[in-house]
Amino acid sequence: MGVERTISNFIRALRNAEVRVSTAETLDAMSVVELVGYEDKAHLKRSLSLALPKTADEKNTFDACFDSFFQFQDVRGETASDSSSESEQEGEDSGEGGDGEGGGAGGDPQNQNRGKKKSKSKSKSKQNNLFEEEEEADLGPGEITDAHSPLGKLLMANSRVELAQSMAQAGEAINVREIQIFTQKGLYARRIMDHMGLPDLNREISDLRTDSRVPARRLGQQLKQRRDFLREQVRDYVEQQFMLNADVSGKRLREEMLRSVKLSNVEHRNFRLIQEMVYKMAKKLSTLHSRRRKVFKRGQLNVPRTLRNNMSYDGAIFDLYWKSVKVDRPKVFAICDVSGSVANYARFMLMFLYSMDEVMPKVRSFAFSSDLAEVTELFNRNKIEDAIAKVLHDYSGGSTDYGQALLDFKKLCLDDVDNRTTIIILGDARNNHGEAHAEVLRELYDRSKRVIWLNPEAKLAWNTGDSEMRKYGAYSHQVEECNSLMHLERVVSNLLRQTN
Amino acid sequence: MGDIEKLAASVASLQASFEAHRYICSDEIATAVFLAYQLRKPILIEGPPGVGKTELAKTAAEMFALPLIRLQCYEGLDESKAIYEWKYGKQLLYTQVLKEALGEVLGDAQGFRESVEQLHKFGDIFFSEEFLEPRPLMKAIKEEDGCILLIDEIDKADHEFESLLLEILSDYQLSIPEIGTIKAVAEPPLVFLTSNNTREISDALKRRCLHLYIPFPDVDIEQRIVAARVPDIPPALQQQLVAFIHELRGLDLKKMPAISETIDWARTLLLLHADALDANMVRDTLNVILKFQEDIDNVKGEVAAITAKVAK
Repeated sequence: MGVERTISNFIRALRNAEVRVSTAETLDAMSVVELVGYEDKAHLKRSLSLALPKTADEKNTFDACFDSFFQFQDVRGETASDSSSESEQEGEDSGEGGDGEGGGAGGDPQNQNRGKKKSKSKSKSKQNNLFEEEEEADLGPGEITDAHSPLGKLLMANSRVELAQSMAQAGEAINVREIQIFTQKGLYARRIMDHMGLPDLNREISDLRTDSRVPARRLGQQLKQRRDFLREQVRDYVEQQFMLNADVSGKRLREEMLRSVKLSNVEHRNFRLIQEMVYKMAKKLSTLHSRRRKVFKRGQLNVPRTLRNNMSYDGAIFDLYWKSVKVDRPKVFAICDVSGSVANYARFMLMFLYSMDEVMPKVRSFAFSSDLAEVTELFNRNKIEDAIAKVLHDYSGGSTDYGQALLDFKKLCLDDVDNRTTIIILGDARNNHGEAHAEVLRELYDRSKRVIWLNPEAKLAWNTGDSEMRKYGAYSHQVEECNSLMHLERVVSNLLRQTN
Repeated sequence: MGDIEKLAASVASLQASFEAHRYICSDEIATAVFLAYQLRKPILIEGPPGVGKTELAKTAAEMFALPLIRLQCYEGLDESKAIYEWKYGKQLLYTQVLKEALGEVLGDAQGFRESVEQLHKFGDIFFSEEFLEPRPLMKAIKEEDGCILLIDEIDKADHEFESLLLEILSDYQLSIPEIGTIKAVAEPPLVFLTSNNTREISDALKRRCLHLYIPFPDVDIEQRIVAARVPDIPPALQQQLVAFIHELRGLDLKKMPAISETIDWARTLLLLHADALDANMVRDTLNVILKFQEDIDNVKGEVAAITAKVAK
């Protein structure tokens, strides 16, 4: 019971951290736990990491998740709130509490309390005792009165497991899982404490401290120390819950926001996230539209198949099968303007180009400001940050000259452009009043399957000033405004659908 | 089967027995084989080339004393190569031969209806197991005492091929339209799939497998691997060359040297009677560990520095 609950909570946390876990895999995880047990944490971790995460990335996430999840709760002494799990916790209790006598009493907390209290002096010297028990000088060890408030009793019971359990119950009760942003941590910690009965405890402590009897004052001191300890525990607990439940939804929120924000406005610290998103997007799109093979009526004769299929015609062969298959992958040429006017976008466009290059086999990338050069090789050789930095450094110097860039492109690879090619041009078409050479684009337009122009400027700004959008637009199959990830995603999705 | 059960009873015993078969494996790898055996689940092994993915399956077969059935994947692999194929030649031949005997078979049948009824009695002999040519997957299923099925480089096969595998991976059975479903006889095969990650394996396939990622090993394990595979190597040289390889993996290379390269290099150096690494010899033998001229050129300049560093 309890174990299952823990595992499914853990899986929930994993899912939250974007490890994709299916129901079948949840069942696998259960049988893994059944098989390897939960005594050896390292072994359990290794085993679960075989059953749950299915990529190298997911494995890293899994490791972090496992550590933070099980650092606080044991696999068995877990957050289970049902009483049926009590018996399970016996062993844990006596081990952790370091209290020989009252440890495993389970059932009746009242009994347990008394047992604990008597053995107090014994347990104090034990190393793994839960509480630091340095007393103030004036009150030595000795007789001590019983605590009255429920929380006080619980604290004096000296049982880590029960404490954790009650903390988790309180957590459930106030829906700590709904914690969203880190500033809420204090609030949730406070709520948990309140739910556990902090006000009563506080009242008791202040009463006790002013009490005339020494044993009562002693209790007051003890309770105060333990309350502070509890506070720390609760803070840790909330911290952990936050990590497991909120961190990612926070990230998701950020991602949502970043998708629609203008790329030029993205702050520097979010670059890494954007990069991740772009990569994910490119990957998603390319797998979504990955080409299927088609059997064509040409190529090599498939003898076995032909014979087999013609058996029904008395072995006379007239229905032929061919071996040849046609793998038709979109061939993309991407030309990116990296000049000053689009510098803010260029980074993202390059990022996207780079990611496309990784997920699609036939992308050739070009960059230009005044002169155009192929950067495919550079992309292949370098890591994404280096590649982008290099491209920006090498090519962003000059003033924009679309005409020259088109001429260069024509010279470089007009021969490779055929009716399966898609040409994507990323740029604002601001040509500094130079010669537009739209006729080159027309040539490309005639030869290729599609020419797509993505303009980072808002539509209203097109054709104003030195923008040559009207001329170029005429020779493009598709002209789109593209300045956020959402635009980019839409465009690429269309692109892949049409090349299919 | 008793032996296998004993071997696979715990992670430690597996690890020890792998080691006895000169395959040094990390806890993760041993755990994977342990779980795969205990839970009867296929293992999908990913990792850079040359870290011993295929070797793991081979060693497991050797260790469990089971036959190894290997299916090498490539683009265009289909069910007739992987599962089964009708012996079309034999079928054709038989039809020709039987044509002559048709009169006897039909005997005194009167008219068309009776003839057909007569023929029906013979059933679908042409599409029975007699005429079936089993391919690796079916062979593995039919193996009585279990076997190791190695589906190598699944990422090289087409997307559609993965779907073909789903049935065998989850239920250890195969459906053949003409015959029906063939189930694993007694002991289902222990399945290893390897992938070099040239493309993403589909979720459906991953869901049915345990997933083992074998990274490059740490220094300690790699030293043990070299010692196990090239036992004659002087300890000083062995330590130095492993350290050298680890330094190389830290560089920005087109292709990292893998374990197989380390072993090859150890053998090479042993042949050259080396006792310790020296820069000149390293330079001369770089082509054993680096497979791109570009990488060799890049590393050449740093050989002296790295050699000095690992010699310490």
